[in-house]
Amino acid sequence: MTGGARVGIVLVSHSASLAAGTAELADQVSGGAVSIVPAGGTDDGRLGTSIDKVRCALTAADSGAGVVILPDLGSSVLTVRALLSEDDDLPEPLAVADAPFVEGAVAATIAAAVGADIKAVAAAAEEARNARKL
Amino acid sequence: MPASCERTITLAGDLHARPAGALAIAAAKFESSIELSAGGSQVDAKSVLGVMGMGATSGQPVTVRATGPDAAEAVAALTEILVEATKVGT
Repeated sequence: MTGGARVGIVLVSHSASLAAGTAELADQVSGGAVSIVPAGGTDDGRLGTSIDKVRCALTAADSGAGVVILPDLGSSVLTVRALLSEDDDLPEPLAVADAPFVEGAVAATIAAAVGADIKAVAAAAEEARNARKL
Repeated sequence: MPASCERTITLAGDLHARPAGALAIAAAKFESSIELSAGGSQVDAKSVLGVMGMGATSGQPVTVRATGPDAAEAVAALTEILVEATKVGT
């Protein structure tokens, strides 16, 4: 645990409202202690993903400890991968979490809130795969 | 053998997402291992998804059990959050 900057979180979804709603939920659960930024939908507001929105969200979410990226499905992952491979000017470190979207966002945000480092925040999101809700 | 401490309280309201988050954040500050149990399920208090998955509801007894060097402080802090955060109307 460190006392300084917290890891930020970016939620990449095909849907702007899904990304925004998931960010709102995770923010409520964690008491607003973490920078969690939605990047959902295309630039003109349709369902899809936008590399520019993700780039902008990464910068907004970073406060010096790096950013964990959670993609929802399919082309969200491709968009994130494309950005990471083409842009050398992104915040560092970055980690992409292979995790269920809602549970992963909540678990990652709690881990970030208690000051976990980027590896531990990404791991918290990925462990959400094993959490039972019933 | 590490110190162990436990206390049971009765929930005044359902254990929703927000108090589950507050519990997990508070639990992470303690070195002790902390377990919550209610209705036959046992979870790690440091796992927010575990606490949510417990599905503890109003009127149900919840036991907080901590084992480790700060067990007593951990139980005091977590039971207080459980009592405060599940008060009806919050």
